[in-house]
Amino acid sequence: MKKHGAMPGKEKVTAMDVVQKGLARRYRRERWFRRMGLAAVLASIGFLGLLFVSIIGNGWSAFTQAEVLLDIDFAAAQFDVDNLARANYGALVKKSLQKLFPGVKDRRQKRKLYRLVSSGAAFILQKMVMQDTSLIGTSRRIWLPADDEVDMLLKGYISRSVPESQRRLTDRQIGWIDRLIADGRLKKRFNTTFFTAGDSREPELAGIRGAVAGSLLTMLVTLLLSFPVGVATAVYLEEFAPRNRWTDLIEVNINNLAAVPSIVFGLLGLAFFLGVLGLPRSSPLVGGLVLTLMTLPTIIIASRASLKSVPPSIREAALGIGASKMQVIVHHVLPLAMPGMMTGTIIGMAQALGETAPLLMIGMVAFIVDVPTGLTDPATVLPVQIYLWADAPERAFVERTAAAIMVLLAFLICMNGLAVYLRRKFERRW
Amino acid sequence: MLSKDACRAIVLLAVALAVSPAAAGQGRDYISIVGSSTVYPFATTVAEQFGKTTRFKTPKIESTGSGGGMKLFCAGLGIETPDITNASRRIKKSEYATCRKNGVREITEVKIGYDGIVLANSKEAPRMNLSKRDIFLALAARVPAPDGGEKLVANPYRTWKEVDPALPDTRIEVLGPPPTSGTRDAFVELAMQGGCSTFAWIKTLKKTDKARFKGICHTIREDGAYIEAGENDNLIVQKLEANPRALGIFGFSFLDQNGDRIQGSLVDGEAPTFENIASGSYPVSRPLFFYIKDAHVGVIPGMREYVAEFTSDRAWGEDGYLADKGLIPMSAGERQRYAADAAALKPLILDDAGN
Amino acid sequence: METAQAALKISELPFLAEEAPEGEGGDETTAAGSQGTVGEPFVENPRMSCREVNVFYGEKHAIKDVSIDIAGNEVLAMIGPSGCGKSTFLRCLNRMNDTVDTCRVSGTILLDGMDIYDRSVDVVPLRARVGMVFQKPNPFPKSIYDNIAYGPRIHGLAESRSELDAIVEQSLKKAGLWQEVYDRLDQPGTGLSGGQQQRLCIARAIAVQPEVILMDEPCSALDPIATATVEDLIAELQEQYTIVIVTHNMQQAARVSQRTAYFHLGTLIEVGPTDRIFTNPRHRLTEDYITGRFG
Ligand SMILES: Nc1ncnc2c1ncn2[C@@H]1O[C@H](COP(=O)(O)OP(=O)(O)OP(=O)(O)O)[C@@H](O)[C@H]1O
Ligand SMILES: [Mg+2]
Repeated sequence: MKKHGAMPGKEKVTAMDVVQKGLARRYRRERWFRRMGLAAVLASIGFLGLLFVSIIGNGWSAFTQAEVLLDIDFAAAQFDVDNLARANYGALVKKSLQKLFPGVKDRRQKRKLYRLVSSGAAFILQKMVMQDTSLIGTSRRIWLPADDEVDMLLKGYISRSVPESQRRLTDRQIGWIDRLIADGRLKKRFNTTFFTAGDSREPELAGIRGAVAGSLLTMLVTLLLSFPVGVATAVYLEEFAPRNRWTDLIEVNINNLAAVPSIVFGLLGLAFFLGVLGLPRSSPLVGGLVLTLMTLPTIIIASRASLKSVPPSIREAALGIGASKMQVIVHHVLPLAMPGMMTGTIIGMAQALGETAPLLMIGMVAFIVDVPTGLTDPATVLPVQIYLWADAPERAFVERTAAAIMVLLAFLICMNGLAVYLRRKFERRW
Repeated sequence: MLSKDACRAIVLLAVALAVSPAAAGQGRDYISIVGSSTVYPFATTVAEQFGKTTRFKTPKIESTGSGGGMKLFCAGLGIETPDITNASRRIKKSEYATCRKNGVREITEVKIGYDGIVLANSKEAPRMNLSKRDIFLALAARVPAPDGGEKLVANPYRTWKEVDPALPDTRIEVLGPPPTSGTRDAFVELAMQGGCSTFAWIKTLKKTDKARFKGICHTIREDGAYIEAGENDNLIVQKLEANPRALGIFGFSFLDQNGDRIQGSLVDGEAPTFENIASGSYPVSRPLFFYIKDAHVGVIPGMREYVAEFTSDRAWGEDGYLADKGLIPMSAGERQRYAADAAALKPLILDDAGN
Repeated sequence: METAQAALKISELPFLAEEAPEGEGGDETTAAGSQGTVGEPFVENPRMSCREVNVFYGEKHAIKDVSIDIAGNEVLAMIGPSGCGKSTFLRCLNRMNDTVDTCRVSGTILLDGMDIYDRSVDVVPLRARVGMVFQKPNPFPKSIYDNIAYGPRIHGLAESRSELDAIVEQSLKKAGLWQEVYDRLDQPGTGLSGGQQQRLCIARAIAVQPEVILMDEPCSALDPIATATVEDLIAELQEQYTIVIVTHNMQQAARVSQRTAYFHLGTLIEVGPTDRIFTNPRHRLTEDYITGRFG
């Protein structure tokens, strides 16, 4: 450009020469821009990879769990058929351990021995007997969960080299553990409990089923409310509402709501849904309502954007052959805007799936053992479970926390994958 | 097609809204517990045990903090309010008054044991031997001037050696909980105030000018030596491992679980061990409580049984499962007394007690 | 009767009363008001008759005092330089301008004696009677079949599937598209070429059997062969329908229309039989335009 002005009159410079001269610089800029973009993408992939590596590195071991193979003798004498729950199932476990280690006589040592098996083992046996009374009188070999300390030792999280006093397992206990391993009675096996159980204070008995069920119920409420309400609001604002100060005000407010910290919605939920309506605390219903408030702005904004992007020529075409306003919207505009609306909804839902702060206020940050089955049962959700486990002193919860994060990430990836899939599928109709 | 879905959803919502309060009105068949995050691990263990061994549902336990729990607990009677609240400190007079004002007239106090608050560091560094006075001088915002006299100056100490020549020459760097935490309250009250009372002139202030006394003893420095590390004690443990020069403040159960990585500092010559805390010789320990809403007993199924489980020796005894989780048990005599009072639902009377 | 109604209408529209600024230029075009239209804007027994139509887009005065009649079974061509208001005026005839927020229309437009801007008039049946083909082809993103069948379906014109099939086939044949698409009716209409799309839109418009068809430069995207097809179609449709066509192609106007209207800066300058307009224009602006001096 500078050259252009100071052109010497001697040589005639054509427009093509100027273009050529600028061309190198233009290409350089383009390359530079491309490289910047590539670097940004690589950096974000790098960080994402780091996150995944660290979480998976911490969490994969939670998918196995040390289990002990015990010979349980359901001797008939111990059971009162009318009151199966009262039988001493703990004693069954203890007896079989005694048989394995007959040399252990001292009372304190016996307690130490019994502690190698999870305190949940007795309940597992109880359940088995209750389900199948024909077990009584037989003798079975059963894999039962080992204590979390044993699990940690097997997974190498507890070092054998530190002095005995600083370990939670004594040398003697480690000796027993080595015997069991040598006999093939102590092994890491796939941790089904993690997927089938609710929360527990014992890491080896804790699972994410309750949290997953709570998340699903909460999301169901959120989806059923926020999608139709959000779409209806967007359609009204975009297609029917007059442009005036009121609608401007509503629009500004919706945009503001999208930026309000989520805990505020929790406070609102506490005051309104629990306080005024008297809905049950800690329930997926209230959680879903609160998360609906939180996701609505996202859905409305995304839906309006996708309504706006429907070409006006399609509306005119439909109007031109005498479609009514409602027919234009339902037959033509909505189908075209649907992929965008769904994407917005799924992104909003994914956000809601990862939320803990507003749920704190309405009592969903809680220890809940029973898996919720209805909208009014007390429930918690996956991110809350992660938050609670991260705070637990037992070391075995560290890997379970990471494993729960993996499950949450898997859900998020599935949801976003679904968003992409839906968009693809519906866009093809264009 | 969409409008049909929308209609269906709206109908569903209406039904849900109509049905749920009705459902809630029919009563609650599980115990609702709120309160301290310090008591949470113990209460949940009992709750789980209770749920598994009885025909009752497992209680729901929310971790709301002691103050938050009291607020919910004292909001009134009725199934939408909690039945039991856990606390890592005694109920305050003001909270007690709120309770009574809202119709919660009879509450039973149950002390469950003790929690030691430890100052720990990484095993890679030497074990610290601190006095309460050292702790106060190292962490208070304003301390008596080092040259003596009854004058306060902004905390001038940078290293432990400056506080006490016997201590190592490392920077004062303490990771601890934020002010919202009960652990922090207890630490300030037990360790800081204890150290601060070793100055005679400050101690006399306690009688003459209580507000000033508290201001001096309870204010933690904000110049970077004390680092608020969040409520998550696991995080503090991890940070200690990464930074051997730092000390961390947290509950005993975290030391108990991580004995191979971190060590507890001696306080006034006492190590934070199970035995020392139980015997009361380790000075920084606090009692833990839960409070029962007596009016709900008999209305909400299982409350008596839950209390019985908590106060049984297999739970809170010396060899009970709670000790396994890091709860420091009371003496046998104390246990017996509290268990009896709990079983009889002896109402708490707070006239002069509390603070 | 009609004139009384028109007078009533105008008195009802306050913004028209005093202001209605007289154009921007202030040159000779201002002289051409409704009375100023040269030629023969009015006919006996009009199908549609427009009186003193004014259109505003916000402050912009896009159509100024236009009065014109459209006879039954005739083809009226509208010509004029770009931006002179042809599309705007055309869109008044089936109230498509209603969809533009800023747009206000005044004056009277009668269809078979009925004031289409009357409050009691429902635009849905009106647009079924007065169909439209747009300047840019705009098929629905649906199958070819559904594109044509959509109008008859919403208006309930077909009793059965076979009747609907017949309407689709008829319409496509009339639009000269049947041969090209009869074997792929289930494929998306958006997959056709630009010219095919435009014919699809024409077929879609005639599928609801309107009385009047408005065409806004229907051939601007077509090759000469397709243009010829459309022109043949117009000639054929003329037997049943009334057609108003906007075009920039003078030859086309000459070929297909009986009457031609010339617009200039929102004003209707001259109307007359097509032969006369092209051979012997009376207004200087018309002459300049058709002889290619500007526009
Ligand atoms: N939606 C609108 N909002 C504001 N002004 C408009 C709008 N539509 C058209 N106009 C203006 O009205 C005038 C007439 O436009 P119109 O589209 O009717 O022109 P036209 O004669 O059809 O031109 P062309 O031959 O280029 O299609 C133009 O000046 C245009 O800028
Ligand atoms: Mg136009």
